[in-house]
Amino acid sequence: MLKVITCFKWVMDEADVKVDASSRRLILDRVGYKISLYDRNAIEEAARLQEQHGAGVVAITVAPPTAKQCLKDALSRGPDKACFVNDPSFLDYQPAQTAAVLATAIKAQGDFDLILCGEGSSDLYTQQVGPVLAELLGIPCATYVNKLTCVEGEKRIIAERKLDDCVEVLSVQLPALVTVLPDINTPRIPTLKQVLAAGKKPVDHITLDMLGSASEPRLQTISILGATMERRRLKFGTEVEDIQAVIGALLKEGVIA
Amino acid sequence: MDFELTEEQQLVRASVREFCEKYVEPIADAVDQEPRFPSENLKKLAEQDWLGIPYPEEYGGAGADYLTHIIAIEELSRACASTGFIVEVNTSLACFPLYKFGSEEQKKKYLAPLCKGEMLGAFALTEAGAGANIAPGITTAVSDGSEYVLNGTKAFVANAPIAGVFIVVAATDKAKGREGLSAFIVPAGTPGISTGEPLPKLGFRGALTSEVILKDCRIPKENLLGQEGEGSAIAGITLDGCRIGIAAQALGIAEAALVESVRYSKERVQFDKPICSFQAIQWMLANMATEVEVSRHLTYHAAWCYDQGLPYHKEAAMAKLMASETAVQQTDRAVQIHGGIGTVKGQKVERLYRDAKITEICEGTSEVMRTAIADSLMH
Repeated sequence: MLKVITCFKWVMDEADVKVDASSRRLILDRVGYKISLYDRNAIEEAARLQEQHGAGVVAITVAPPTAKQCLKDALSRGPDKACFVNDPSFLDYQPAQTAAVLATAIKAQGDFDLILCGEGSSDLYTQQVGPVLAELLGIPCATYVNKLTCVEGEKRIIAERKLDDCVEVLSVQLPALVTVLPDINTPRIPTLKQVLAAGKKPVDHITLDMLGSASEPRLQTISILGATMERRRLKFGTEVEDIQAVIGALLKEGVIA
Repeated sequence: MDFELTEEQQLVRASVREFCEKYVEPIADAVDQEPRFPSENLKKLAEQDWLGIPYPEEYGGAGADYLTHIIAIEELSRACASTGFIVEVNTSLACFPLYKFGSEEQKKKYLAPLCKGEMLGAFALTEAGAGANIAPGITTAVSDGSEYVLNGTKAFVANAPIAGVFIVVAATDKAKGREGLSAFIVPAGTPGISTGEPLPKLGFRGALTSEVILKDCRIPKENLLGQEGEGSAIAGITLDGCRIGIAAQALGIAEAALVESVRYSKERVQFDKPICSFQAIQWMLANMATEVEVSRHLTYHAAWCYDQGLPYHKEAAMAKLMASETAVQQTDRAVQIHGGIGTVKGQKVERLYRDAKITEICEGTSEVMRTAIADSLMH
């Protein structure tokens, strides 16, 4: 049986983030959380492999303990089991640290064939966790994948990478890691029975102690301010000599230096 | 005291909202204006297990609680009140009496297909001389050997034109008044039952409503629901549950009016400022938000009472009264905030304004709700 691991991140729902008009401070006290958008595509792709090839699917996340709610959400989307690696310090982990924790936890799960990740997370979108995780596990990695085919009977996948100027088709020997783009599928909306069944699926709760190795969080958020848009309502002519006026205005506003 | 929804209830809300954005909202205007039954979404709603949420899986339901159903109705109605009403009528008016009073055989034969969306159900109670008072009208059921013969005309039967089965309340013994009413299961297509033209209503226009005409309609005795004489009890408790559902519909409509009003008031500039910066608009929005919250608490509390097995007759009436009157007032304010554009077809608040009014009337008017609440104070 094909063994698939799908990684996901529990992120703030950007729709709930409000910006204080005067200080530009982000108001987060009523913010909701959700599974990062592209990670939903990764989970959906795993669910598709589960339906078509009878794959066993484990969903894994590295998160603070407060993210417990993500488990039923993820499990309602198909995976047979969830792995909740949690510690309060994970909130300030760099992508490479998150990848290292994932690598340790995944090794502890035993053999696997395929790891699916979203191309990047909805919050930081560093696009680093997938490739770094592949490197740490010593397996091939295909990024920007918008079509994935599992070759029946062979431990091999065909992955189509959507690049800027072409589509690259790769044949990859398993085990491997794939990061997916949103075009790869349309994530299902869980049915009510799937939501209710999610609570009955097994969850491995893994703490930092159990992993055996800990590193100090290296990420420090100094400040985050909301972007603002102020319209100056300046109008310029279209003649050549007007260009100087445009440049002058941009210099004055500090857009160019 | 716990005001937090369960993780499952929160997930269901997110699922229904996503479903609505994808499938319900895009056709809501067409459903209202043509008007037409949103048939393309019915199968999808069934696949999501949302047509029989509070009933056990063995009868085709999802096996969740009533509050989950209420949340789904709230969210559906926020996007399209017609769609919310179609589901609410099926779940609370057709499935409920079958689940509560039906024999095992009746549940397997009728409840399961209703929960699975293989057909929709309707509840035929109101007639020219009878309605929420649950009094005998002209519709009769006369015993004749192994059959009952039904005659009469039922009015304002929601889902009637597309229903696969009807729960019909008829007098088996007129002399006994309310105690002489009984409930019957009448499958569509039974000789003698027919439906009228869908009524061109003010709101809930995509949820088709018509007369149901019974003319020497013969049904086997096994189609009696519960016992003879239980009709008024069945109708009463069925309406109570549905009133929580209508409260949820009103809540969804009021919430949508609030969301639209906040959005528009930030966009619309007058006197060089967005109109949301004027106190006149801010006070309207503040009142809207507060009253929506009051309605939500009453509605969820009534559903919670239902789930706990506590009495909910008064709570359902209070929730429906508050939420429906809130919906009417809030949609009125929402149109006011929108100004001229708010009166134009295709604007969501114009539709919400018309849909809201129905919630003050269907399954018992506000006056009937006040009577029910007052009764509970007197006894």
